[in-house]
Amino acid sequence: MRYIPTTEEQKKEMLKEIGVSSFEDLIESIPQNLRLKDKLNIPEAISESELEDKIYRLAKKNADFNSMKPLIGAGSYRHFIPEAVKFLLQREEFWTCYTPYQPELSQGTLQSIFEYQSYISRLTKMEVIIPSIYDGASAAAEAALMSLRLTHKNKIIVSNLLHPHYRETIKTYLAPHETEIIDLPYKNGLVDMEKLKILIDEDVASIIIQSPNFFGGIEDMAKISEIVHSKSVLLINVIVESMSLGILKAPGDIGADIVAGNAQSFGMDLNYGGPYNAYLGTRKQYIRQLPGRIVGETVDVDGKRVFVMTLRAREQDIRREKATSNICTNHNLNVLAANIFLSLMGTEGLYQISLLNAKSAHYLENLLLKSGKFEKVFNYPFYNEFLLKSKEDISTVNKKLLENNFIPPLKICEFYQADNLKNVLLFAVTETLSRDNLNNAAKILSE
Amino acid sequence: MTNKVIENLYYTKSDEWLKVEDSIGTMGITDYAQDQLGDIVYLEKIEKGKKMKQDETLTTIESVKAVSDIKTPVTGEVTEVNIKVIEDASIINKEPYIEGWIAKIKIENKDELKNLMSAQEYSEYRKE
Amino acid sequence: MKLIFEKSVKGRDGYSLPQDLFDDIKIEECLPEYVISKNKKILSEVSEVDVVRHFTKLSKLNYGLDDGFYPLGSCTMKYNPKINEKLASLSNFIYAHPLAPENTVQGCLEVAYDLNKLLCEITGMDEYTMAPAAGAHGELTGILIMRKYFVDRGNIRHKMLIPDSAHGTNPASAAMGGFQVVEVKSNEKGTINLKELVELMDEDTVGLMLTNPNTVGLYDEGIEEIEKIVHDKGGLLYYDGANLNASLGIIRPGDAGFDIVHLNLHKTFSTPHGGGGPGAGVIGVKKDLIPYLPTPNVAFNSDQKKYYLLDAGEKSIGMVRAFWANFSVLVKTYAWILSMGPDGLYNASKTSIINANYVLAKLKKYYKPAYDRYCGHECTVTGREYKKYGVKTLDIAKRIMDYGMHPPTIYFPHFEPYAEETIMVEPTESESKEMLDKFIDIMIKISDEAKTNPELLTTAPHITPIRRTNDALAVKRAILTYDDELKLKDELNYKNENIEF
Repeated sequence: MRYIPTTEEQKKEMLKEIGVSSFEDLIESIPQNLRLKDKLNIPEAISESELEDKIYRLAKKNADFNSMKPLIGAGSYRHFIPEAVKFLLQREEFWTCYTPYQPELSQGTLQSIFEYQSYISRLTKMEVIIPSIYDGASAAAEAALMSLRLTHKNKIIVSNLLHPHYRETIKTYLAPHETEIIDLPYKNGLVDMEKLKILIDEDVASIIIQSPNFFGGIEDMAKISEIVHSKSVLLINVIVESMSLGILKAPGDIGADIVAGNAQSFGMDLNYGGPYNAYLGTRKQYIRQLPGRIVGETVDVDGKRVFVMTLRAREQDIRREKATSNICTNHNLNVLAANIFLSLMGTEGLYQISLLNAKSAHYLENLLLKSGKFEKVFNYPFYNEFLLKSKEDISTVNKKLLENNFIPPLKICEFYQADNLKNVLLFAVTETLSRDNLNNAAKILSE
Repeated sequence: MTNKVIENLYYTKSDEWLKVEDSIGTMGITDYAQDQLGDIVYLEKIEKGKKMKQDETLTTIESVKAVSDIKTPVTGEVTEVNIKVIEDASIINKEPYIEGWIAKIKIENKDELKNLMSAQEYSEYRKE
Repeated sequence: MKLIFEKSVKGRDGYSLPQDLFDDIKIEECLPEYVISKNKKILSEVSEVDVVRHFTKLSKLNYGLDDGFYPLGSCTMKYNPKINEKLASLSNFIYAHPLAPENTVQGCLEVAYDLNKLLCEITGMDEYTMAPAAGAHGELTGILIMRKYFVDRGNIRHKMLIPDSAHGTNPASAAMGGFQVVEVKSNEKGTINLKELVELMDEDTVGLMLTNPNTVGLYDEGIEEIEKIVHDKGGLLYYDGANLNASLGIIRPGDAGFDIVHLNLHKTFSTPHGGGGPGAGVIGVKKDLIPYLPTPNVAFNSDQKKYYLLDAGEKSIGMVRAFWANFSVLVKTYAWILSMGPDGLYNASKTSIINANYVLAKLKKYYKPAYDRYCGHECTVTGREYKKYGVKTLDIAKRIMDYGMHPPTIYFPHFEPYAEETIMVEPTESESKEMLDKFIDIMIKISDEAKTNPELLTTAPHITPIRRTNDALAVKRAILTYDDELKLKDELNYKNENIEF
């Protein structure tokens, strides 16, 4: 087998040198009656070319996604990824190495994580950044748990416009703590401020708000911050479309205490749902309650500037059951993907692409409204996603789009059951859709 | 491994020392403890006025590679906290017995001192 | 090496924009002023050439698995097949949106469905969820399943038994799951102390988390009694599959009585480590626990011959992440299993066990083993006897780097009385006999140097891109971003020669 160098001859030699007569002697302690009597009942090994054939055939059972234009986001956004990102990522020194526990052999990984922490800190205006939790949902859940530890309270408020999967995940993570989770309803596509004022009290540890929210709406975080902080409640800002950070106000500037952000838009393919990556950001004073790995700068014995994993006493291998989280392996390679992506984008590129997303989305909304086949559900400021109610049955609408090579928008009723959300679609537009594509989509939907 | 002890102090099995002056006990961690921890980087804040029981965790101490609970040698109220070591925990590595004191406790029950070890006993206990 | 920020030049760019920037749309007319940032966020301004050179240079500061021996115990650093990378990057997979209509993703669903069946057969379990993104994530998922199982029966239990040899994620996960951790000590043979287990296992205990072979690389011969002790009191048995590489085709956790299993796909199943992930920590369960699996599952409608995502039902623990799996990792795993077949899997375990025992046999004269018995796929020796020369196990590990190899895992596991100053070596089946001999030679050389020239070890490494780091300073100064560094610029006063271009 081409992945196993040792030959049968060599194995015999080695057994002799170990001092046993057969392999059986080495596994003596495994009870005989539990051992497998026959081979595993799985298909016999196939060759590399047969494997390629098989997987190609499976991939062909999918739609030709590369050529399709997505009109759907809802937590997973197709953005253009420059080729240099993938090219550099595949260097084996990045791709195959282990967690950088030995800094002398992993400055490449460590420095790139430090650079990424610096980028995200500037984008979010949060002082301390944890570069990698598995995804936005688990990051939001970790942020919730962190807020319970910081405040010693056991009640949180969660916006109803937080991504439904994220809300589910928070519920799952908090179940053992029997935390009271209060639902904050929405009004007109944004958080209901009046209800918020009523629900907020000094027993609440934190409030979790996504902005731009699941409907694409940009929340007035500064106003929410005022209300929330008057009762000493922590404000957790969840970001699902990080591309929005290019033009929107940084969460740190508008009152966020903790930020949990899905970084998928920065250089990660859709990959049918994963792996993505998420960052956590917070103030320096909360550092010791942060979960996950963080990289810091120091010097080596020669006085060189070097990077190391630091503040490790929070982590599971040292703290065990008292650790801030059990997280060990995270999604580090995606941190690198995001880092390379942001390095290529730079200050100007990120701003321009971010702006382009917003403009193209508004362009499509205008077109669709003009067609007379759609109407607005709510009137809220949105980034690159918006709701529209269709005059035609949305199953038909989506079918038309699919036939014309678009990945159709989300039927919002799959997640929200309100009457006024029946026959409503959640559209997303990124810079991957040209004016022609958008005109075409509008044309198809006007017929 | 270092294991310097100072006479006339009391010692606990969890490597704390206690200096008794009238009814006030000054406490810290032993030379052995600071050596085991390695470079100490952080000491969690201790509240003045906190009422502690013997053997209860007073605070946690963090080094680069480990975290340890510091136990209270005797029951009583915390009357004073050494701000210097909260600000710079590495003092404990350099001088665990004098400058590196951590807290002062008003001893409630002097009988509890019977449960502690003498310098000689502790020295034996931690002999490699 | 210079940071990307230090290579930034105003006006330089590394991106490309389409011609049409929708200038006809005015952003001020779309968005209220209070949401738009007044200033651009400052990242860096470098060209694509700068970026490519920067990261190429950075990569050369790393030691990767394709460079050579990477014997980290319990990490299973085995070869990452390149064809699997190609297959996971097929455009129909990478551009598939997770909420795309089911009939457009039949290929993805079929991969997951088939993989489920294969993993069930390999491990003797009844159903797998692909949701968990990493081993620890799997542990949490499994623990939440265990918790729900008892809650559902109106039998609330509070404790979880975990061996002293367990990986730190086990107690951390149990604590996250709301359980009180009760430690079970190992006996003098390095396996679970059965007498203690009997005493500790009671009806307030949800179960036992066991890694088998354990973190010192030893199969627990008491496994049948362990199973009985735990199940007799109505508890569940959890299998930490980090060390599954010692068992493929030999023994299945399902057959040994485990109720829940997590697998580390980035360990046993060859997917790349990526410097710390992504991997996946899929969870397999026995029939009784299927209702509690996270939602959704992949199911097959045999009438329509279609795969679909099925809601797991009201007993499900819910979701542990958004969408439903680290799909690209699943593709690589699937491809690996198909390439290995039943003989290949058995060969992998057999070879890794022989490799580890070979290293143990040759090293034990120089490095006292933690336990003097045959090991599984990894062996644990110690650096204890070099203490008297003033040499710590850390020094030995750092010296190995000077010989061009990545050191094994050190100081883990750590439990008294034998697992101290540990050096855990896991060669995996990917290593040739010549590589093992080379490693053994190096270790013998180092053992000699420890006696004759200990300073060489205590000041190692010497030839790596950087040398020993001041970790205490990193914690104290807490420079965690470039802006932190800028704030301390005067104090730091780095010399130019200390920051290479």
